[in-house]
Parts: sequence; structure tokens; C-alpha cells
Amino acid sequence: MWGYVAEKLSISQLNKIGERLRKNLESEEDLRLLDVFRSSFTPAYQEVFDHLSQLGLKPGGREGKTTLSIRAKLVRERTRLSRMQDIAGCRVEVDNLIEQDRVVDEMKVRWPCALIHDRRVKPSSGYRAVHLVVEVDGLLVEIQIRTSLQHSWASATEKLSDVCDPEIKYGGGPEEIQKSLTEFSNVFAIIENVERNYAEVRAVIANSVMKGKKEVDVLDENTEKLQADLKATHEGLNAALKKFCERFTIADREGSQ
Amino acid sequence: MIFLLQYDRKLGKLCGELKRFTASERREAQRERLTIELDLHRTCVSRDVVLLEAADEETLRRTHQRYFKTPRELVESMMQPEAEPVLP
Repeated sequence: MWGYVAEKLSISQLNKIGERLRKNLESEEDLRLLDVFRSSFTPAYQEVFDHLSQLGLKPGGREGKTTLSIRAKLVRERTRLSRMQDIAGCRVEVDNLIEQDRVVDEMKVRWPCALIHDRRVKPSSGYRAVHLVVEVDGLLVEIQIRTSLQHSWASATEKLSDVCDPEIKYGGGPEEIQKSLTEFSNVFAIIENVERNYAEVRAVIANSVMKGKKEVDVLDENTEKLQADLKATHEGLNAALKKFCERFTIADREGSQ
Repeated sequence: MIFLLQYDRKLGKLCGELKRFTASERREAQRERLTIELDLHRTCVSRDVVLLEAADEETLRRTHQRYFKTPRELVESMMQPEAEPVLP
């Protein structure tokens, strides 16, 4: 279903290019053909980017995965180039889980057949986000929807993978860094869920106030407790992050060179 | 707006200038990206050469902050006000 044939390339040709890329044996002609393949996603990508922009979501887009990233994925996952679902992609950052759910629902209205990977339910090496793979004119485009906290975590992890160890992003690399990142990811998940619970309680309170119910007092007490829990969790997180920075004194390359 | 950048992963830094193109210059941006990639291939230099798009540079620097910030800045950004609780 997700197979793809570019105008100037057969799937077989494409996968042979992928094999040479995997082995680091690609020729200039391979890179030119890879670019033809990559560029063929542009119209589909543009449609997705424009739709997200029209919704006021301020997307960032990448119309073609870089050659280094394609090579890394081919080596890591033993997949085929023709089967990659994230050659073209867009990314959106939202405030919180409630907003994330709302945007996912909007995407499902526009693309009812979208494949949804909810990495909040099942984080991938600590990575939390919702990814949708949508099909436009037979071509796949990935949409990443991240909350601010998820995006901060993902960006820091990607950067640490770049400069320290590429395996960090996939759950490997130095144990101490991996352990800290996992802890942050878990704490972020708790914070976001407390935020969502808090919002739900607020909604119940607002509804009760409108109806003049006595439960309002009880709900207010719950809200205060939730708010206190949330603040305490944030304080704990910031303390952990400061400790993390002090412990590793992460190389700020500009400063160290 | 479309942005063309080169990024050295091991250094965690951008190489050269951030080039800007309008949406109507997309083909030109794609051609330039390929030209740079082929040049790097000839000289055996390993770099990401990537076309990114956003409404403006500020948005790009936010959505793809990995390319623009140092490791320390990114780890510390998890403590910045934007990571503070946003109580609905």
C-alpha cells in the first residue's frame, strides 16, 4: 500500500541505491537519483505544510530527509529506501497534551486514513510525541506533533546524540546520560498528565459553578492540591536538571574550542 | 520561507551561512542543495545538507532548534520559563 515509484525510478533501482548508501558506496549518480526521489515528495509535502499553516500551527518543515539520516536509518533498521515513511515531514509544537490531542483530532479529520504512532502511550527510548503518517497522492508525509516539554526533551537528546554518541537517541550510549534522559522523560510525562488532570478538574468546576452545585468547594480543594503537586514536581525537575548540567558539564563546543 | 543549511553533527554546529529562499525559489534551493552535497561527496566531507521551511526564521529556530543551539543551551532550555507549568 505504501509502495512508491518515482517517475524516473523503479522501486528496484531505488532499493539498490539504498543498498549502496548503506554500505557507504554511493556514486554521484546515486546522489542525483536520490535527489530526484526526494524532490518527488515536494508537492505532497507542500500540501501538508500549507494545511498546517492554514490551521495557524506554525509548522517547521523538511521536504527531504538528509542523505546522512537516510544512511543512518538504512544501517540501523535494515529497512529499504522505498519503504521509508519519513522522507518528507513537518513538525508542530503545541502547549500541552490537551492541545496535542486537539491537533491530532484535526489531522484525523483531514486525513482519516493517517497512521498514528502515539509515543506518549509507548515512548521510544524516552521519546514522547505523536507522529502521523499521511498519504497525499500516493506519497507519505510524516507529521510530528510535540508539546513544548516533549520538544525540549527531543531537541536536547538529538543534540547529545550528535556530539556525544549517536546511540543516545536510540536508548544506548553512556549509561549515566541515558539514565538521566529517561528520568527527565518520565518526569515530563508526569507533569503533562498532572496539567491535563488539572485542566479537567477546572472544567468540572466551571461546569458546576454554572449549575450552582455545592460540589464546587470540594473540587476547589482538589484543584489546589493538584496545583501544589504540579509546582512541587516542577521544582523537583529543575533541581534534577541543574544537577545534570553540573554533573556532566556538557561540552559547549564553542566554549571548549 | 525556505532555508538551506549545512550542519556538522560531530561538532554540533552549522557550517557556513544560512541561505534563505522564497517559496517561488524552491527549485533553485533544491538545485543548490544538490550542488553542495555533490561537492562535499567529492571531497569526502560528511555533513547534513538540508532544506527546511518555516513562516520565518524565528519559527525555524524553534522547530529545528537542534541545528542552532549548543548542547548546554538545549539541556538548559528544559528549565526555561516555556517549560514551566502552563495552568489552563
